[in-house]
Amino acid sequence: MGTNTVEYIQEKCAVMRRDVIEMGYVAGGRGAHFGPALSSIEIVASLFFKVMNHDPKDPRWPERDRFVQSKGHACLSYYSALIESGYIDKKYMSTFKQDESFLSGHPSRNIEHGIEISSGSLGNGFGVACGMAKAAKIKNENHKVYCLVGDGECNEGIIWEAAMNAAKNNLGNLVAILDRNGVQLAGKTSDIMDVDLAAMWKAAGWDVAVVEDGNDLNQMIEALEAMKNSTVEKPHMVIANTTKGKGISYMEGSLNWHARAMDEEQYKQAVSDLEAAE
Amino acid sequence: MSNIPLDKLQDWSKQGHRTVMGDSLVMLAAEKPEMVTVTADLTPTARLVDFQEKYPDRFFDVGIAEQNLIDFSAGLAVEGLIPYAVDMAAIVPMRPAEQMRMALGYMNLNAKVISIEAGVRFGPLGNTHYGMDDIAVTRAIPNFTVMSPSDPLSIYKTIFAIAEHDGPVYVRLTGGPGFPIMYPEDFDFQIGKAVEYKEGSQVALISTGSMLGPAAEAAGTLEAKGISTRVVDMHTIKPLDTDMLDKVFAENRLIVTVEEHNCIGGLGSAVAEYKAGVEGAPRQVMASLGDEFKKIGDYKFKLKQSGLTAEDIAALAEANL
Repeated sequence: MGTNTVEYIQEKCAVMRRDVIEMGYVAGGRGAHFGPALSSIEIVASLFFKVMNHDPKDPRWPERDRFVQSKGHACLSYYSALIESGYIDKKYMSTFKQDESFLSGHPSRNIEHGIEISSGSLGNGFGVACGMAKAAKIKNENHKVYCLVGDGECNEGIIWEAAMNAAKNNLGNLVAILDRNGVQLAGKTSDIMDVDLAAMWKAAGWDVAVVEDGNDLNQMIEALEAMKNSTVEKPHMVIANTTKGKGISYMEGSLNWHARAMDEEQYKQAVSDLEAAE
Repeated sequence: MSNIPLDKLQDWSKQGHRTVMGDSLVMLAAEKPEMVTVTADLTPTARLVDFQEKYPDRFFDVGIAEQNLIDFSAGLAVEGLIPYAVDMAAIVPMRPAEQMRMALGYMNLNAKVISIEAGVRFGPLGNTHYGMDDIAVTRAIPNFTVMSPSDPLSIYKTIFAIAEHDGPVYVRLTGGPGFPIMYPEDFDFQIGKAVEYKEGSQVALISTGSMLGPAAEAAGTLEAKGISTRVVDMHTIKPLDTDMLDKVFAENRLIVTVEEHNCIGGLGSAVAEYKAGVEGAPRQVMASLGDEFKKIGDYKFKLKQSGLTAEDIAALAEANL
């Protein structure tokens, strides 16, 4: 995966955004978390198409890097990466949130399709990811664990319990990425819990980097590669400033598109926005 | 797993369940290299000092952080280790119930959670330190096995047995220093298979955890009065041994469930839930901690307060026969 060009990954991001809209629209009245999926596209694409060492043809390969999407509600960015990298056949896109589907509204463990763990109860995916990184160290394995967390998710106590313990255990094989899109379910993160996240992660003992624009692929890849290659024996945190609902005109920065159902007119507008950007 | 000599059992009986657990984990570690122990700042209390000294690379203290005790253990289990997460029944499972459901139950991970000091033995410390609801919480999580062994040897056997069971297990430990030896010799112990501790045709006392001691003593009292009494050690509460219950339903006239737990959601509830679907099953009364926050007191006082002494259990059975 490491040889892909930025242009190639840029194209993947465009397709992933289209996948997010298609799957979210298929969900109909069941709705979808469009905003947080779209803000995290470049983060997830950077990992799956550039940074992570993995093989979609061999999902159980013991040496693969692990990815945990702790902010499980943003599963559509994760699913789109799994679809576009070959873990999930495109035919399953129409089953998102449908009866009997394995593509639930929050990821459910399914190694065969690249889903390492179940997540979506906020904070817990991160806690489990920290344990997975520790296990790699105990077993003298060299793979890394990447974990995507949300900024609203950092309200959770378990995040900080796990963060302190990860630092105590010098988990340099753990790279967390914070999708700092500034909006959570009920409003702006600055209104609900206005904290200096970079300072808090540093205080917890983490090696922290901030990406000015986490929807800029070059910036995102550069930051992740730096953390991947870092020899600092501390867990790494990349705080990526992103735009909620990135790429869809009426969703960007909106407080209304954390999660909701999309009607036909909105769908057409979203498709038109994405086509115009290509 | 070895045969435990009587003098060792006597020492364990004297020391209480924490020492039995701590020693058993050390013994298990020698046989099971993928097994590790995790705790949340309870190393001396949970008698884990020996384990920490003998296996420093397989021992982890997450600090006073019980949610992470479970999530961290879950992460270890995801990667093939077998974590034994040890805490106190008043705190675990209640505080990290959601982690136990989401991480361990939902993913059916091979992790074990052991809580010391279930029930009310922490009497003078007050209601914050009583483990009265842990069976109810864990029993409602799919995939979980829930166990409560009764004495030193059965605790040892439980700790070894769950290592061979692929899936999440919650073990509640009761019985403080001086808890009786109920099994002085090796016996057949299987997860999900109750032990018929004593045969009897009229009353059936079905106990879990260290309540087997007073239940067996109560049976002696009842027998002396001519009341034939069966005693069942229901060390596994989930899955419930329904074969044993079918036998009890067919042969006994009265069931008394005996547990150091809230009357809601524990062993008594589990038996009643199964019994509800069995036509002509006998009546059941419950000896339990009830459903209230009671006044503090020492352990003996607390058991008497809830009618959990041998004398109380026998009287309850006699009054309802």
